[in-house]
Amino acid sequence: MVEGPGRFGFVALLLWAASLVMPPALAAEATLDRGALATALCGDGAAQAKAVEGVLRNSAEATSGDLAWAGTILRALLDRRLACLGESALVLDRAGATDGRDAATGTARPVTGGRSPVLGLRQRALVETASGAASLLTGADVELRRAGLAALERRIATVPEALLLRAASAETDPGLRAGLAAIAQSAALSSADPARRLAAIRAVSEAPSGAAFSRLSALKADAAYGSDPAFRSALDAALARVERAVSIGNGLAVLYNGLSFASILFMAAAGLAIIFGLMGVINLAQGEFIMIGAYATYGVQEAVRRLAPGWLDAYLLAAIPVAFLTSALVGIAIEALILRHLYRRPLMSLLATWAVSLFLINGVRVAVGSQNLQFAMPPYVSGGVPLYADFVVTWNRLFAIAFAAVTLVLTLVILKRTPLGLDIRAVTQNRDMAACLGIRTRRVDRLAFGFGSGLAGLAGVALCPIYSVNPGMGANFVIDSFMVVVLGGVGTVVGTLVAALGIGGANVLIEPLYGAVAAKVIVLAGIILFLQRRPEGLFAVRRRR
Amino acid sequence: MVEFTRRSFLGTAATLSAPAIIRPAWAADTVKLGCLFSSSGTMANIEGRLNHVVRMAADGINAKGGVNGRRLEVVTSDPASDWPLYAQIGRQMLQQEKVAALFGCWTSVSRKSVLPVVEQNDGLLFYPLHFEGDENSKNIVYVNSPPASSVLPAVDYLMGAEGVGAKRFFMIGSDYVWPRTINKQLKAYWTSKGVPETAWREEYVPLGFSNFQTLVNQIRSFAAQPGGQPIVVLTVVGSSIPDFLREFANQGIRATDVPILGLDMVEADLEGLDTAPLVGHLNCWAYLQAAKAEANTTFLSEWAAYVKAKGVPFSADTVIDPMVSAYDSVQLWALAAAKAGSFDVPEVRKAFPGLSFADPSGYTLTMGSENNYVARGVFIGSVNEKQGFDILWQSPDAPKPVPFSPYG
Repeated sequence: MVEGPGRFGFVALLLWAASLVMPPALAAEATLDRGALATALCGDGAAQAKAVEGVLRNSAEATSGDLAWAGTILRALLDRRLACLGESALVLDRAGATDGRDAATGTARPVTGGRSPVLGLRQRALVETASGAASLLTGADVELRRAGLAALERRIATVPEALLLRAASAETDPGLRAGLAAIAQSAALSSADPARRLAAIRAVSEAPSGAAFSRLSALKADAAYGSDPAFRSALDAALARVERAVSIGNGLAVLYNGLSFASILFMAAAGLAIIFGLMGVINLAQGEFIMIGAYATYGVQEAVRRLAPGWLDAYLLAAIPVAFLTSALVGIAIEALILRHLYRRPLMSLLATWAVSLFLINGVRVAVGSQNLQFAMPPYVSGGVPLYADFVVTWNRLFAIAFAAVTLVLTLVILKRTPLGLDIRAVTQNRDMAACLGIRTRRVDRLAFGFGSGLAGLAGVALCPIYSVNPGMGANFVIDSFMVVVLGGVGTVVGTLVAALGIGGANVLIEPLYGAVAAKVIVLAGIILFLQRRPEGLFAVRRRR
Repeated sequence: MVEFTRRSFLGTAATLSAPAIIRPAWAADTVKLGCLFSSSGTMANIEGRLNHVVRMAADGINAKGGVNGRRLEVVTSDPASDWPLYAQIGRQMLQQEKVAALFGCWTSVSRKSVLPVVEQNDGLLFYPLHFEGDENSKNIVYVNSPPASSVLPAVDYLMGAEGVGAKRFFMIGSDYVWPRTINKQLKAYWTSKGVPETAWREEYVPLGFSNFQTLVNQIRSFAAQPGGQPIVVLTVVGSSIPDFLREFANQGIRATDVPILGLDMVEADLEGLDTAPLVGHLNCWAYLQAAKAEANTTFLSEWAAYVKAKGVPFSADTVIDPMVSAYDSVQLWALAAAKAGSFDVPEVRKAFPGLSFADPSGYTLTMGSENNYVARGVFIGSVNEKQGFDILWQSPDAPKPVPFSPYG
């Protein structure tokens, strides 16, 4: 019979098409006991773990329909969108919805009286892996499948090899297929076939990390390490390679940490360098200008949220001019109302700025409240990306570093290339002579104070993604920024930069050795000793008296 | 004829503006309660709430007619997160304001500085925080749990099969007495369980520390070493908690890789954080906002109404364990004073044994005759996406408190 197979194939095609069109819950070829899985997921921790382990174990053989269904219910469990009503489980569209669909039959039902199970840590890890397996095998687009693979990679030891093979054979995206092949290869570290083991060792060493080093080191206890010279040399070479890569990665991490801490110090201190340098005002309210900048950023965020919610991700950029102007205006107001009268009395101005700082902190506390402000974190300041070995670049710190670099360039341009900058430098070097030459020193003072406060406001923008924003946040920065300015030499921006890099780097280098408490003490003692030898700081502006 | 002095005028005005139910009590004598909670400094965000809770509890008792026919009057202060200042203000409150009881302190270092003051003046301090234990003064009522009924059950959970089977421990704390004592006891506990010394690391940071990059790098390399499942035992306090959590999430570590057990972590520390990448981290307290109890529903709505009515500068829908414990403190004191029929400290103290009170956590608090500790339930919470904690485990009943740790 010639047409038999053809007709049979046609029927199969129809069935397959039907399974695509029909909701997964109604697919005909179920081998997974869906009711039992739903009941188990609503049970205690042990039942949940057993059921999810079963899903993962059978994921290489299960039908796509079953897998997609399991993926849906597991993700619902992760997001607490699973409600348990007696023996049955309901999948909700969102947490807290009033009705959902029965997980096993797909019929819509109200949720009243249901409870949503809370996952324990062990169960959560299992559910994440199993749901990753489901999205790797049944995900409609590459992104979903890639996320699924990433979830599997986190616990590669628990993933059955057959699952990876099935995914590799079904995968259409070349990049993802290569990733799968590499993972499947490295999963064969304890394979019986020596050739596959060698390939696995090579594959593991190609993605170096501390965890890879531990995995490879464990093989030294293997019998083959003593008996098989090829295995031994391959393992030793791989270990050396991973170790080198990990130490390079750690070196990069130290550099990055030092740079990011330095950029925070620099931004906090840049404004002070101008205020302290030009007017000799010991401004204890500098930290509060940072706080005002951060609150202005919050204001911009709320305004954007209300007026143009589509542009919410851009609020940090929109906040730059607003935070600068807000802090600058507050600074100018304080200069005009209070400090103007105290220029010849440094101790008085110290006390006055302290009072201003208390006033600002408590004013904000009364007006806004003292809890931490809630910021929406756009993707460019949240999370990070592993760059090399264990070195992770975190976006919020990178944002701060870039921000500090731009601030530095702008400050230098304004000081060296504009008439205002010329005036500021003239007044810094010799106030009386500048006044004789017709520079309105009072006006320069006010603008410079505004500029210095505005720079602190900018620091507030950059710090929002890193630190908690509350009325007291500024207090943490005052001491550090004075340390930086005094060490750098009063009145030089370059000195401030070098001092920030030095203090940031020293802290980061000492911290892993002696702990964070000792790092602070050692750095402070170092600065005191240095200032004993060189009271004018690293870079001193020559001035005439 | 009524003579209108300035004072009586104010009194009348206040009487008129007060809700009807309080008015009769106004005429009677009042008894003063003192609060020692900071509304500025590093502890302000969390400690500041407790002043308002004590007021709310006192208002509630006054609305029911006060204690022993007297109306409660709450005196607040601001020790500004400055530990010696707690002692100084405490002394003033006892000697000048003649308060019947003090409610206060968050950090153990502040409690330790108030301790000699209450002992010299034979005052009473109700302390609403879970803490390191190893202390038993007749002048302090320890309303929250010592480690045996808070930290150890949580560590046991994480080490057990139901948790993650933790084998290795990275301890990070702020550098003062509570974290150091807790970690000392934990190390002795692990030693008693046969955990080798190489399986833990201990790091301390200054109070208010915020730059956690290097430490989180160290945690990642600690986690990569062989030897079994690692966890982080976090005892940093105040503003360091959210800063640590943010850095931890940004470096890509999830709770399923390395879970954090945050011993001082409360709902308020998650305000302002994106908690989606933090889901699954744990804390342990004697109360969680998600506790299922009728008294909890009442308490939550009472707090929300109070925040709205008084314009309190804190979130109306965040309630944390120390708030409930401060509320319980006032209730326990009121019960004891009513039972004693007196406000004298020795009389009130004699009334403590046998007191019981059903608090918002759903457990019944009891006090025994051996010490001034209060038996509380135990909750283990798990961070959820909505900046709160889900209840992962809770004890079947309120275990009897063990003041002195057999470990360390």
